Amino acid sequence: MDIFSDLLMGMSVALSPVNILYLVVGALVGMTVGVIPGFGPAAGIALLLPVTFGMDPISAVVMLSAIYYGAMYGGTITAILLNTPGDSGTVASTFDGYPLAQKGRAGPALVMQAVASFTGGTVGVILITLLAPLFSQVTRSFGPPEYFLLAMMGILTLVVMIGGNWRLGLISALIGFALGTVGVDLETGRSRYTFGSAELIGGINFIPVAIGLFGLGELFYAFYRGIHKVDSSDMITYDRKNNFWPKAQDFIETRFTLVRGSLLGFVIGVIPGAGAAIASLVAYSVEKSLSRNPERFGKGEMAGLVAPEAANNGASSGAMIPLLTLGLPGSASTAILLAAFLMWGLRPGPLLMTQNPEFAWGLIASMYFGNMALLTISIFAIPVFVMILKIPYRVLAPVVLVICTLGTFSVNSSHIEIYIMLAAGVVGFMMRLYGFSPAAVVLALVLGPLAEESLRQTLTISRGSFGIFLDRQASVWIIVITIVLVVVLPMIQLIGRRAREGKSTT
Amino acid sequence: MRILFLLAILAGGLFYTYYAFNHLAFLSQTGRLGPGFFPRIVGSGIVFLTLISVVQELLRMRATPEGITLRFDNFSPGALFIILMGVGYLVALRFLDAVPATILFLFATLSVINRGRYLQNVLVSVLVPVAIYILFRKFLNASMPQGLLGLPF
Repeated sequence: MDIFSDLLMGMSVALSPVNILYLVVGALVGMTVGVIPGFGPAAGIALLLPVTFGMDPISAVVMLSAIYYGAMYGGTITAILLNTPGDSGTVASTFDGYPLAQKGRAGPALVMQAVASFTGGTVGVILITLLAPLFSQVTRSFGPPEYFLLAMMGILTLVVMIGGNWRLGLISALIGFALGTVGVDLETGRSRYTFGSAELIGGINFIPVAIGLFGLGELFYAFYRGIHKVDSSDMITYDRKNNFWPKAQDFIETRFTLVRGSLLGFVIGVIPGAGAAIASLVAYSVEKSLSRNPERFGKGEMAGLVAPEAANNGASSGAMIPLLTLGLPGSASTAILLAAFLMWGLRPGPLLMTQNPEFAWGLIASMYFGNMALLTISIFAIPVFVMILKIPYRVLAPVVLVICTLGTFSVNSSHIEIYIMLAAGVVGFMMRLYGFSPAAVVLALVLGPLAEESLRQTLTISRGSFGIFLDRQASVWIIVITIVLVVVLPMIQLIGRRAREGKSTT
Repeated sequence: MRILFLLAILAGGLFYTYYAFNHLAFLSQTGRLGPGFFPRIVGSGIVFLTLISVVQELLRMRATPEGITLRFDNFSPGALFIILMGVGYLVALRFLDAVPATILFLFATLSVINRGRYLQNVLVSVLVPVAIYILFRKFLNASMPQGLLGLPF
């Protein structure tokens, strides 16, 4: 019953007129940043962060969180209409979303993705409501060794699960750690890598780095791929008047897919580092393997769109569990969200739900209404987002560069920070081009100080012995889960792939 | 180009590690782990992993028909253009105020990548900075760059 009284209290916070207004604005902004190619939730939250400085902390966090999960809804619109995922979490939605649009079923696909996103998001929030207090209780016994291991687990899972070259992913994470060591060492008061600059004493601010890596880096990469030369308006096949609503058969055929995708997405989202992209790809594969008609997948099968959509929204909700109960972000977007919480003096962790219940439960309650608002916006404001999509990228891109620059400047009124942003943009572009992971840089930049502090505390407690990690039961469990995630699962995947390749060659 | 990027990371990693070993103490005066402990691990990791990647990249390049040669010709002019315009925009912000610098940047950039659509380019170049000015200064009370020339907007 405690949970329900807490939730009711959260609803009273979330339902204030001001918070509803910010929630809807955040949802709209989130959908818009999701629609703009390459401009995902990470850049959206980082950019909107300075705008929230004059707000009440709870309103600000409600709005930023709405941007975070709203971007998942928006990213799919481009995936369906342009075959271009708005964010890595919507890659799997292109597999059947775009073929559906080509078959003249863009309208039903857009409505079904909204329903799937709503289901994934809502199932996720219900599970947060039930599980977050339990997680808080379990994690209260965690000390520095567990925090260090969880930080490592998040980074390693991100590096391994994101695919590509794991060595380049690790180098990216180490660069993030290195950037996190710039500034004053809090334990000894000694300056590190500041070279006499007063601007660097407080460390490298993550906002210009995040906006540079995700906003500008993606923008430069889009120019590299020549997206500015493409006229997207000719590609959009969408008819609002005819064949817009899905048939009853679409709902009936995908009713179990919705539930499976949502639950799977949530579980994967809880794992630090796994995130929406992995969740949607896994949900797509699972649905294809369970389907009676797997040959229809990739050719415009509704279940092939619904599964990843329910999963990526379920994962966005799932990622809030380690964020709220441990203060550990699992992705670049949640890392920026964590930094936003800290900026407002709200330190997520095991005690957050007891020490700051208005905030924690207000945020959770707002996610219920946020998903309802997004469902409505997704269905009825589709023409507006189609209009945004029709703006040529060559016109949109310079405007995005201006907003990134002026948004970064407004944080600390610092010209140095806009230079850092541009440099991070060029580095982010190079990283994207050569197979590195900008997400690992940002995650490590945010987790670096926590990882360093907890490792030093751990070794002080154990008098320099690493054996402490094996003496504590919670630590051993985290090590086992990490090994399963970063060694065992990829090996099973590799063996399965080799077996399939062997079959296809014989 | 990939090899140049890897070499740049290696150079940065070597400098970072050198600084960690020579300027930051491993132990603090109280005998606890000092400010150099973590950077030494991180720096050594960057150098070690990047060295392996450099060697692998050189081996991969040697196996190609071109051999180990630096090729700049496949670098996109579009990306280079927008990066250079971005640099120009930051320089303009240093001297002019936010609104004139933004008008100048948008008009110059759109004139090249959105060629021939004069009315659209002029409208976007003027309306976007004005809208941003109203949003930032009037609604959000956020600061915007003021140039050295001290223009009134």
